[in-house]
Amino acid sequence: MRTTFLADTWWVAWREWKRFVGQKARIVMILVQPFIWLVLMGNMFEKMAALPNFPAESYLDYMAPGVVTMVTLFGGIFGGMSIVWDRRLGYLNKLLAAPIARSSVVSGKMLAIGLQTAIQAAIIFLIALALGVSFKAGPLGSLAVIGLAMLLSLVFAGISLSFGALITSHETLIAVVNFFTMPLMFTSNAMLPLSFMPGWLQTIARVNPLSYAINPMRSLFLSGWNVGELLQGAAVLTLVALAFGCLATWLFRRSLA
Amino acid sequence: MLAGDPIIQVTDLVKEYRGGLRAVDGVSFSVQRGEIFGFLGPNGAGKTTTIMVLISLLRPTAGRAVVCGHDVAREPDRVRSRIGYVSQDIAVDDALTGEQNLFLQGRLYHLDRETIARRMAEVLAMVDLTDRAGDLVLTYSGGMRKRLDIAEGLIHRPDILFLDEPTLGLDIQTRRRIWDYIRLLRAREGVTVFMTTHYMEEADQLCDRVAIIDHGRIVALGSPAELKAAIGGDLLTLDIAAGDGHAAGDLVGLLRTVPGTKQAFRADDGRWVLVAGHGEEAAPAVLEVLGAHGLRVRSLAMKKPTLDDVFLHYTGRELRRSEGSDDFGRMRMGLRRARMG
Repeated sequence: MRTTFLADTWWVAWREWKRFVGQKARIVMILVQPFIWLVLMGNMFEKMAALPNFPAESYLDYMAPGVVTMVTLFGGIFGGMSIVWDRRLGYLNKLLAAPIARSSVVSGKMLAIGLQTAIQAAIIFLIALALGVSFKAGPLGSLAVIGLAMLLSLVFAGISLSFGALITSHETLIAVVNFFTMPLMFTSNAMLPLSFMPGWLQTIARVNPLSYAINPMRSLFLSGWNVGELLQGAAVLTLVALAFGCLATWLFRRSLA
Repeated sequence: MLAGDPIIQVTDLVKEYRGGLRAVDGVSFSVQRGEIFGFLGPNGAGKTTTIMVLISLLRPTAGRAVVCGHDVAREPDRVRSRIGYVSQDIAVDDALTGEQNLFLQGRLYHLDRETIARRMAEVLAMVDLTDRAGDLVLTYSGGMRKRLDIAEGLIHRPDILFLDEPTLGLDIQTRRRIWDYIRLLRAREGVTVFMTTHYMEEADQLCDRVAIIDHGRIVALGSPAELKAAIGGDLLTLDIAAGDGHAAGDLVGLLRTVPGTKQAFRADDGRWVLVAGHGEEAAPAVLEVLGAHGLRVRSLAMKKPTLDDVFLHYTGRELRRSEGSDDFGRMRMGLRRARMG
């Protein structure tokens, strides 16, 4: 059955994709939300850029990659919800009764989340450019931003699907996911430079997986190509995404026994 | 697999859940190719658990189940590709169209695009959904969703279709239509049907053979006619005008002389009850015998035994009263209603 794994993954993802493009209101939100974040937060904290040692010319420039990662975080971290709903509505049993590779249920959902995130990241990127955010790395750099966002979303999708395999009620899953998202967000340098944080928070921010996406992304925005940093970030994110993907698959298979 | 071999062979099957609940407790039966075989029993009797083992989604605790020539525990993938499964949950994706649901199902069974297109047209026509296939399932009624679900179970031409409570929560008209579709698909596709139900009428109407299951055990197995015959026969209830000089005992003796009578007694309400193999023949015969003795019959009622009576006979409980009240089941019913509303 291993031979069908890639095809099965694709068709599981195909379903999620069709669901995604069918949800008009959700797509409107995806377009509007980053716009609001950028305009509202950008204006709110504008004066911060005037502080000494602020690493960017405007707060908007600094925050744009932060918004990309934030939207990625929210996109990926609720991925486990679909497995909880499929279980509850009986669709999961339908998938499992088919002769598909077990692991393709997890990998298909991860792939779908990765693709959705890529589109969201591209949209935010374009909105940011339209708002006058400076981007130093050129057209190819934009692909690197989207790639980093995809990898990061796979990390969160893996975490979320792991919980989704263990938890059978969506209320519990929302509670667990919310418990993680806000601390992850505010213990990273998405919104604030490390130098503005107390020492203990800086330590946490350095190991926060978000930082591995934000730092190379921010370099692409503010200073241009930093290949070493980019490769290191991509490698760490790939490994962590793979690890959580495997964990989710293992927990999912175990939940079926 | 030889042509004469059963397509499903279950031997001493046991399924015990974590926590010690023995949902299936030593069940053995076989199903022949082309049969409509029913599992009849109240909620919680072990019907769905048995299906889940047969479709390889639950591992048996003990015993063996061979489906389409393959052991479900050892070769689950081979079993899965040969069977179709329609759960009681009406598991269609309402964010997709009917066509998209069927297309996806075809892909999950590794069919190519041409085969899917051909089969889609066939199964859609069979369940009368061709006109609505391009619409979102969100706009479908409950009955249409169920029909789409059944069509999905057939897209890959399975040897066996497993139907778990195919008409649960549907209204009477829709239920009768679903029955028609099940008969039709057996006739057209030659598919073997294994179904569960807790509706007596459904088992009676559809199934060639029925296993009555209660507390994880099969308490009776046979064709509906056989099962009904096994409990004695038809019941004739007579209101007899008290004849001169006939004592009660004499009358019982007299009724027993009616050809085909198995049993006769006086009921609590004073009427007389006669149990006969063939009520249609016993009815005129009893009138003749009583008339010859100058006895007048005020009324005569005949009742064919139903599977209800069979269930009562074997379990000592009425099916309706023995329905469990599990919260999850109720929640699911609520969900289903919400989706249909």
